[in-house]
Amino acid sequence: MFKKLIEESTGKSPWLFHINAGSCNGCDIELVSVLTPRYDAERLGFQLAGSPRHADIVVVTGPITRQSLNRVLRTIEQVPEPRCIVTMGSCPQSGNVFRGSYAIAGPLSKYVHVDVDVAGCTPKPEAVIDGLALAAKILQEKRRAMN
Amino acid sequence: MDLPFAVEAIKGLFSKPSTAMYPAKPSTAAENYRGRIVFHPEKCINCMMCERVCSGHAITHTIEKTEEGDRITRTFYLGSCTFCATCMDFCNENAIEFTRDYHMIATKEEDLMVSGTFIKKPPVRKPKPAAPAAAKPAEAPAVAKPPEATADAKPEAEKTAAAAPVKSAESAPAVKAEPEKAAAPAPAAAPIEPRDDGKPVSDPSKCVYCGICAKKCPMQAITVDRASKTWTLDEDACIACGTCAECCPKKCIIM
Amino acid sequence: MTTILNALLYLGYILIYPGFLFCFFIGLLLCGIDRKLVARMQKRVGPPILQPFYDFFKLLGKETIIPAAANRTVYLLAPLLGLAALVTIQLMVPVFGFTAFSGMADVIVILYLLLIPALATIMGAAASGSPYAGVGLSREMVTILACELPLLMVLLAIAKSVGNAMGTGLCFSLSEIAAYQSAHGSLLFHPSMIPAALAFLLVIPGETGSHPFDAAEAETEICEGMLAEYSGKPLGVYKLSHAIKLLTMTSLFVALFLGGLGTGIVVLDAVIQVALCTVVTVIMISFVHAITARLRIEQIFKFYWTAVAGLALISLVLAWFGL
Repeated sequence: MFKKLIEESTGKSPWLFHINAGSCNGCDIELVSVLTPRYDAERLGFQLAGSPRHADIVVVTGPITRQSLNRVLRTIEQVPEPRCIVTMGSCPQSGNVFRGSYAIAGPLSKYVHVDVDVAGCTPKPEAVIDGLALAAKILQEKRRAMN
Repeated sequence: MDLPFAVEAIKGLFSKPSTAMYPAKPSTAAENYRGRIVFHPEKCINCMMCERVCSGHAITHTIEKTEEGDRITRTFYLGSCTFCATCMDFCNENAIEFTRDYHMIATKEEDLMVSGTFIKKPPVRKPKPAAPAAAKPAEAPAVAKPPEATADAKPEAEKTAAAAPVKSAESAPAVKAEPEKAAAPAPAAAPIEPRDDGKPVSDPSKCVYCGICAKKCPMQAITVDRASKTWTLDEDACIACGTCAECCPKKCIIM
Repeated sequence: MTTILNALLYLGYILIYPGFLFCFFIGLLLCGIDRKLVARMQKRVGPPILQPFYDFFKLLGKETIIPAAANRTVYLLAPLLGLAALVTIQLMVPVFGFTAFSGMADVIVILYLLLIPALATIMGAAASGSPYAGVGLSREMVTILACELPLLMVLLAIAKSVGNAMGTGLCFSLSEIAAYQSAHGSLLFHPSMIPAALAFLLVIPGETGSHPFDAAEAETEICEGMLAEYSGKPLGVYKLSHAIKLLTMTSLFVALFLGGLGTGIVVLDAVIQVALCTVVTVIMISFVHAITARLRIEQIFKFYWTAVAGLALISLVLAWFGL
């Protein structure tokens, strides 16, 4: 029963940690708009955590610049299991318009397993909510698999 | 201490929240929102203009040789797309369309791929199977091109005029003129005739040899020499996309 | 036989009614109500009231990472120490006529016990070895220092006021304060105590680290400060402690200033106490949270040592002259 309680709660209280890996700020602003009164993701339990140690879902924006690559990977490693990685916007998925640039270390999926991709440039807040809800579901399954 | 929001907070407590209850209440995107791409392979003529103009390298294609012709699969990777709609603007055949669907959530990369396959027939073509599809472009620009949708009717009329010759040329029954294809197209006879295979002909009486068509040609099939005043078409490379006719400032190229 | 029964009774006190289980449910519930109402004041829908429960149970199921630089024992024991101290306070605060451990404690003990959760957090933060925690703990210390002076003066004012009436000079005993209030009406309705009550109300958000005074946990600025390195179960215990602290501070306010409203029936008293605690939470935590922005650390200090301490001083002077 206790395990079931934890499982249920895991899906209902996913905390986000946002990493900007060289983003143009478009996705960052749309992610914040998801938490504003207009969309209010907190009603679904989402909350922006200040430290990666508190997070469940890591939201990565930006094309993973060479400078940020190492920091992004280290930050993701700080997040306790079960964790879920969401790429927001086209940049972390492929590099988008920066693809092929000498400053870009390539798509995030080259380095870590990405659970959910939210495409768009930048995605609409509704799409972000959809993506995060899917991530929460995956999180719950991961928690179930841990038992 | 100044607390300007005290009244606002109490008001908020007793009024309806201004939250859009999204997952419970679905919402549609704004009118000209550019979301998921829809590709119409039956319209595509593989001019590759979209691939050339795409800033995110999101559009790719594969070619497979079959008996019927080249089997071409064009793929749009939404995870690399900036949704700038340049490909849609450049597509002469209106084969690319942006919809208002913003649900582009994927757990695998394949979920973000939009692709379409079509068979490109070898050069000698029969009367055109794409006649119904070719009829569409005349009315399509009004909906498909957001910046022009509100503009006056003039550009639209031009569009129609530009599209019309293509249509007539394609739907015209194939008349003789087979030997003409082999002949060099550049020094064409004075009253030029549209060719039956849909490829461009330049009218030397109007042409100023500016070379814009050569620059715009996605296949580099046109060579223009200003010094000797020649306009040459590499027939094998030409794919009859119509870009040269569209961009010609003197309107001297006939498809 | 009676000793066994007594032992069982005390065990029940510690584990169930004013103790752990009660604190757990009511604390998290208060926290949920707080979050919901803040959201509503900001014209949002807000999380479900049970959200803190989900958060707590989720954190129990997360991996606990112990930083390489941390002192393992202190790092893991500090949250439990804070929680234990808070539950202890709850056992000693009278619920109108009823006190689980009566006669043992007076206001001074409560004052010290209130320090322990904050000190435990500071210990844990220092043990985690994170620079963010370092910044957070220095701010937390300043916040404690800022709150402590007005709190002390409020308690002195109460002690003097009650002591005057009892003829004992200064009266620090919680049970006597409760008895005095049930005989003479709540202290809140004594004119000389109104500034002190206001000062105490203003201390509540500071003590609980709630919004305008949460420079120590500024999540966007210093990565949640002292909790930066915590994850999983210890973090869950910290979140629980924070929720229980809401209950402790508000029930302390109810015990000290609204003591005379009890009915004598234990169950009914408990309900009234929880209801009053909720009201105080809504006004002092949620409402203040919704309408203010975070203060800088020196602003917090200045605010408490001038405005709040001033209010407390007025009451103290009035009480001293027997008004």
